[in-house]
Amino acid sequence: MELTVVIPSFGLTALLRACLFHLEAGLQAADISRYAIAVVDNGSVVPYRSDQFPCDNLALVRLDKRTSFSRACNVGASSSPSRRYLFLNNDVLLQKDALRDMLQLFARPNVAVCGARLVYPDDLIQHCGVRFDAGPRGCYHEYHRRPSSSVSRAVRDFQAVTGAVFLVDGDLFGSLGGFDEAFPFGYEDVDFCLRARQIGAAVTCSQAVDSIHFSGTSNQDPSRQDASRAVFFRRWANRFSIDGTISE
Amino acid sequence: MSGPIDLSLIVHTRNSARTLPRLLATTSWIPERIAVDMASDDKTVALCAAAGCRVIPIAPSPSVDEVRNRYLSLATSAWSLVLDSDEFLADDAEQQVRELIGRAGAAVDAIEIPRFNYLGDHLLRAPAWYPDKQIRLFRTGTVEWQAGHHRLPVVLNGRDRLASLTPPDCLHIHHSNYRDLFEFVERQARYAVTDTYDGAFDFHAYLAKAYAELDLRYDPAADGDLSAALAILMSWDRIVRGVLHWERIGRSAPLNSAFTLPVVAEARDAGAVAALQDRLAAIENSSSWRITAPLRWLSRALAAGLRGRRSS
Repeated sequence: MELTVVIPSFGLTALLRACLFHLEAGLQAADISRYAIAVVDNGSVVPYRSDQFPCDNLALVRLDKRTSFSRACNVGASSSPSRRYLFLNNDVLLQKDALRDMLQLFARPNVAVCGARLVYPDDLIQHCGVRFDAGPRGCYHEYHRRPSSSVSRAVRDFQAVTGAVFLVDGDLFGSLGGFDEAFPFGYEDVDFCLRARQIGAAVTCSQAVDSIHFSGTSNQDPSRQDASRAVFFRRWANRFSIDGTISE
Repeated sequence: MSGPIDLSLIVHTRNSARTLPRLLATTSWIPERIAVDMASDDKTVALCAAAGCRVIPIAPSPSVDEVRNRYLSLATSAWSLVLDSDEFLADDAEQQVRELIGRAGAAVDAIEIPRFNYLGDHLLRAPAWYPDKQIRLFRTGTVEWQAGHHRLPVVLNGRDRLASLTPPDCLHIHHSNYRDLFEFVERQARYAVTDTYDGAFDFHAYLAKAYAELDLRYDPAADGDLSAALAILMSWDRIVRGVLHWERIGRSAPLNSAFTLPVVAEARDAGAVAALQDRLAAIENSSSWRITAPLRWLSRALAAGLRGRRSS
């Protein structure tokens, strides 16, 4: 398989359908013919049915008991082994050319993880790379909530990118054992990127186009990342580089 | 996951080739799978054999539940899982079942599992159809089925040794019950015709259950118009069963005594009965109700019952 797209999802059926609609356009624009889409139904109260999602090459993976984002991603990836994986949140509407640009960045030496530039519906930056500062927040989204039009589109490497749109080399993903399931929700993406960099892989982010990320649609609990954050800092405190602070 | 799970699957099949592949695919992690096949003449046996199931051929039986007990002892594992051929499990079932068995300890013999029921593409969400808990996972030898269709199995060492899962965030059985209403009616009719009618005949009880079915299953907020269709069909099923029971006892009871309806007996005074009658009449006259034949029938029966009481 050239590419397996893994979408962990809980409820939000109509939004998932829109996500898939945009994904299909992106796959077509990237001229990928050998792909699979694994939608991991992560314990939706009303299980998904395949006829709700009229997509080619789509398989539903049903989990009756809701599990961590990291485990749902790993289950989805193992359901369809592939040369590359694209992990995609169900509340992301990919811009048509986003995937093509991400794949082009993969042609650069050592690039094994690529994120995407994401905006909120009001065109403010949701994600265009993850930086680290010396303060208690640790990692943060660069230029978060700045108008996209004011943020450079120059491609640069990062220590990490968000897992909302996360293209990764299949061999690397396998060799690192996938996302670490010790993280219940959040920080598994940053942890993976830091582990990837430890073995020499480069992490970058597409900046060419903006895709929409509604963010936090499945879980709006402000403390939803606390447990993962604690795991992250136990593991990585004082072990990442300080990029410096960019104020919002 | 560590080592093979100490679990046997028992599934009864009868021309089940259409639904079996999904069951076989989602239970492939179970080390011992036994298919008790009732003379299928489609690809059922070949599918089971190809999947590594032990196939036990038996004579067809009108009621699966009646023959289940005879084959439960074939299981050689400490725990048994019983599924119907039109059921399947989720992709995380192995992990869930392992955890359930691990948590069961010495105090639990059987585990009640919620079930998703589908009519065609529609997941039935009304309380009458969900969570529809089923006793299907149990220590081998601790559960027995009763004769008849869709009767709850018995936990032999007592119900206090039964654990019950709390939906929605837990293991479920997924059940593709019916393709459409034609299949629903066909199957209900078959169940009614082949059921056992060995208790005392009381047509009042059947009528009371018909009302209860209407009340229980009509839930348009959950299932839309389909709930009306199913409520009427299930209500009608109770009436049909009452009549078949009457036939089974040789028509030896005066069936028209049924018109002294239980709702009359339950109502404290004539005013309450009249109010109920008005309600039924209002439903009957409502333009939003298109399918009211059983209600009309029941309304007339109620009126006849009242007339009978007034004249007596």
